Amino acid sequence: MPKFLKQLQYQLFLIPILLFYTLFTIYPLIKSFIFSLTDFNGYNKNYNFVGMSNYLKIFKDDAIVSGISYTLLYAISSTVLITLVAIPLALILDQNFFTKNIHRAIFFFPSIPSGLLLAYIWGFILAPISSGVLNTVLREVFNLGPQPWLSDPNLAKLMTIIVAAWAGAGWHAVLYLAFLQGISKDYYEAASIDGAGRWGQIRHITLPLLAPAMTVSIMLLLTGGLKVFEIPFALTRGGPGFETHTITQVIVLRGISEVQYGLASAMSIVFFLIVLVITFFQVSWMQKREERVL
Amino acid sequence: MIQSAKRNWLLDILMLPIAIVTFFPFYLIIINTVKSQAETARHPMGWPKVWNFSNYVKVFEETPLLRSFGNSLTITVFSVMFMVLFGAMAAYPVVFNANKMNKIITTYLLAGFLIPFQTTLIPLFELMTGLHLVNKLSGLIVLYMGGAVFVFFLMMGYMKTIPKELPEAAVIDGCSIWGIFWRIILPLLKPITVTSIIYQTMWIWNDFLAPMLFLNSSNKATLVLLVYKAKGEFSVNWPMFMTLTVIVLIPIFIFFVVMQKQIVKGIVGGAVKG
Repeated sequence: MPKFLKQLQYQLFLIPILLFYTLFTIYPLIKSFIFSLTDFNGYNKNYNFVGMSNYLKIFKDDAIVSGISYTLLYAISSTVLITLVAIPLALILDQNFFTKNIHRAIFFFPSIPSGLLLAYIWGFILAPISSGVLNTVLREVFNLGPQPWLSDPNLAKLMTIIVAAWAGAGWHAVLYLAFLQGISKDYYEAASIDGAGRWGQIRHITLPLLAPAMTVSIMLLLTGGLKVFEIPFALTRGGPGFETHTITQVIVLRGISEVQYGLASAMSIVFFLIVLVITFFQVSWMQKREERVL
Repeated sequence: MIQSAKRNWLLDILMLPIAIVTFFPFYLIIINTVKSQAETARHPMGWPKVWNFSNYVKVFEETPLLRSFGNSLTITVFSVMFMVLFGAMAAYPVVFNANKMNKIITTYLLAGFLIPFQTTLIPLFELMTGLHLVNKLSGLIVLYMGGAVFVFFLMMGYMKTIPKELPEAAVIDGCSIWGIFWRIILPLLKPITVTSIIYQTMWIWNDFLAPMLFLNSSNKATLVLLVYKAKGEFSVNWPMFMTLTVIVLIPIFIFFVVMQKQIVKGIVGGAVKG
């Protein structure tokens, strides 16, 4: 068989993926960039090139500014909170105790259903009126009045982050657990011969050796957090005001509901750059840290 | 750690309350499906006085539950099947026919990881409308196909562990390049195929944003979308809404119980290679 024919046969296998990926990912990305420089409204095909003006509008639009700042807050705090819960949880679930397997399943399960469902379940707990479970507890146990869990700006932000942590901690604990089980027992034996206590072993052996797991887990959490939509949307609809509005919600609202294609596309491109820059710095910084500690 | 041969029963006692708190939201919704509206309002946490299963019957009568289940199943099965197939197919030439062009194609595909779906949303909306793919299950299946890139990445990592001599020997025996893929490579990919299927199934089954934007009529709704729409309808009837939620959680729970070990392996495999 001629060589080029063989090559051709191989290359045919790439056609489906190249076709779909180009049509549904790359082509829309390029188009987003083009739209962002125009005043296209989705209907009128005679649109004009308007340069950077959509980008400048972003910073004058309250919903967008608050969408960016809340999304950053959400991404960073949920990442920190989940990491602070997942590492100790993984350390505990790595120990040998009778109900270990059932505990692993219980903490892991909230990662499996859709975020929308989970947030609705929490909506029942945090409901403002008397049927709200948390407010019922406050009334009957502590004799306190109802708290506006989802309608006070600060409480609403806090609650969305707590629900996210509840939903995501188990998954990331499993990820850390996987890395923990790869750590050789020899290290601990050597350390205990040298007289290191349990805490010393965790500090000087376990945590440094978890560095690669942290790079992966934090990258997943940060990118996932920046793309968040469901949990805040289902809990608060983005309110009160635009306090828990996410970037995704802004793009849907300004772009699809209000057909401001130009503005929403500019927002999409800014969002793309935010994700790119944050991921790049996080991964390169944490990989350097891995080299230092390992 | 070192004393791990001995079981630490103190941890059993210590972890119990934390596990109860974690699982409490699920207990709450289950317990409230069998109460009356009035009882749920007064005693949301209490054990039901009378067990009343009429909500379960009503949910089936008042919502297109089975239809939505069918829609979710159709979308998930076909999307995942094609994604896994296209991902595996693409990894094959990249690994076994490595050349400069395929290196460039790999980089081009991997760039997809950096592109959030949201960035492409507005043009996608225009494109889907233009192709008459809005409000069609097939439209959503086609839309998800960009996700084949993730499968490609997993498959590529795994395929590199297959010895090159294997397909070479098959060529000498007269097997075609097409035949090698189907008869030799694909069967060897079974473990990573399972991982890919689990990951993509969880994503597609649980997705909300794409169905919300691209499926408007209620007979096309997926299960997640059905819950979203019901939230408005049952806004004052918590027991009814909880019942729907519990029913929708059942397939996910079964998936979890059956696949738990595989899911964990998948996280491990994906993370360690990533």
